[in-house]
Amino acid sequence: MIVTGDDPFRAVFASHPLPMWLYDRETSTILDVNDAALAHYGCSREEFLRKNAASLALPAVDRRHGTDASTNDGPEFELMSHPVDFDGRPAVFVSVRDVTALRRVEHALARAERDRRRMTVEFEEHVRERTVQLQAAVSELEAFSYSVSHDLRAPLRSIAGFSQALIEDAGDALSADAYDDISRIVAAAQRMDHLINDLLTLSMVSRSGITREPVDISDLANRILAELGDLSMTRAVGMRVQPGMVAQCDPRLVRVVLENLLTNAWKFTSRREQAWIEVGEISRDGGTAFFVRDNGVGFDPTFADKLFGPFQRLHDASEFPGTGIGLATVRRIVQRHGGRVWAESRLGQGACFYFTLQS
Amino acid sequence: MYQILLVEDNADDVELTLRAFRKSDLLNTVTVVRDGVEALDYLLATGEYAERDANALPDLVLLDIKLPRVDGLQVLERLRANPRTRLLPVVVLTSSAEPRDLLTCYSLGANSYVRKPIDFKQFSRALQQIGSYWLQTNQAPPIPGTA
Repeated sequence: MIVTGDDPFRAVFASHPLPMWLYDRETSTILDVNDAALAHYGCSREEFLRKNAASLALPAVDRRHGTDASTNDGPEFELMSHPVDFDGRPAVFVSVRDVTALRRVEHALARAERDRRRMTVEFEEHVRERTVQLQAAVSELEAFSYSVSHDLRAPLRSIAGFSQALIEDAGDALSADAYDDISRIVAAAQRMDHLINDLLTLSMVSRSGITREPVDISDLANRILAELGDLSMTRAVGMRVQPGMVAQCDPRLVRVVLENLLTNAWKFTSRREQAWIEVGEISRDGGTAFFVRDNGVGFDPTFADKLFGPFQRLHDASEFPGTGIGLATVRRIVQRHGGRVWAESRLGQGACFYFTLQS
Repeated sequence: MYQILLVEDNADDVELTLRAFRKSDLLNTVTVVRDGVEALDYLLATGEYAERDANALPDLVLLDIKLPRVDGLQVLERLRANPRTRLLPVVVLTSSAEPRDLLTCYSLGANSYVRKPIDFKQFSRALQQIGSYWLQTNQAPPIPGTA
């Protein structure tokens, strides 16, 4: 039965831009079709009405541009059907939906998801590779330090040992000059031993993990100063350590920091009759900065940024011996704690080294 | 007469060690072996030392860590695994004081760990102290099978 006449819904159906039709649920006979459907299938109303509903199911999905849904850029359609009661008889209402945009979005999403997975896999692979490389570099560095620690020292022992043996064996036969020459050889071997030790400490600092615990900074400073005092009994050094200073830090590494700063202070005040070393704390960067101040020879502030580089020395080695690695080690330890280190001085007017142990 | 076994591959270090012992007032004989294999053969009376009396152990072993073929750590491990040498006093005498060497040596049962000083006077003093402590002051462990 074709609905005709003035039914306003019929007019809506007929002129609706979506292709639509109705068929009889039992006989599959087409009951009605709108103009959009005729245009979609490219046939006349009479041709359409002669079709069987079953034969319309598939062609409604347009595959004119190929059958691979993922690469098909052409329009795509989907049949939507649901049962209706059509004037008392069981029928099926069918409409054709244009899903081109939807499919494109779906395909784009699928592509993005595939890309994301591939990139995740690549990224993880990349991280794995880098980790392996990093581990190789670290173990190479460890092997290197280990080898330095063992193999570089052995020849030094021979140099120093046999030089001293020579002094013993030759005894009085050595001239004062020859004796002096040999003493220089021994001293040089010892300097190199210190250099190796300092380099190993620097490398250890870079490799080892940080374990934070409460450390009594005042106690640590007092102990190191007492040790320095024991080493040079002849010197009178005035010192003051602010009591009650505590920090959350790695005790072993922070001991290295204080040892270096206090040994420097001790060394660079050696020409002062009234040497003075002070350890204290101030508020800085929203936290605590510890400082080691002395009234020693100080340094030219122009070179302040050079102080903390390895092998940088601002004083003549014959005047103030040292390896130039101590402050580089200090900086490394402080950095590993998330802190910073800086120094203030004027040549001839003492120096003050500050460090923080938190970011 | 105390018997000392020196396990050391560096000829200079051997010479310096012997020199230091000569200057000490300890009556001693130092036997030198040059690597870990030879050290184990000597102490366990195997290989080229198969003819040796396995019960005649030295009073003290001075053991270097970095050795050709079998290193000092492996020597220590093998000695501690053997009932006859399990308690033998072993002093590790080496160039480095790397934390991991210290840990391994003590874990494996070293009696002492000494870093060889660069300065010969300090080196001599260290060896004299080792000799005097381990050979004179210290009570040696019982010989296995006699206790």
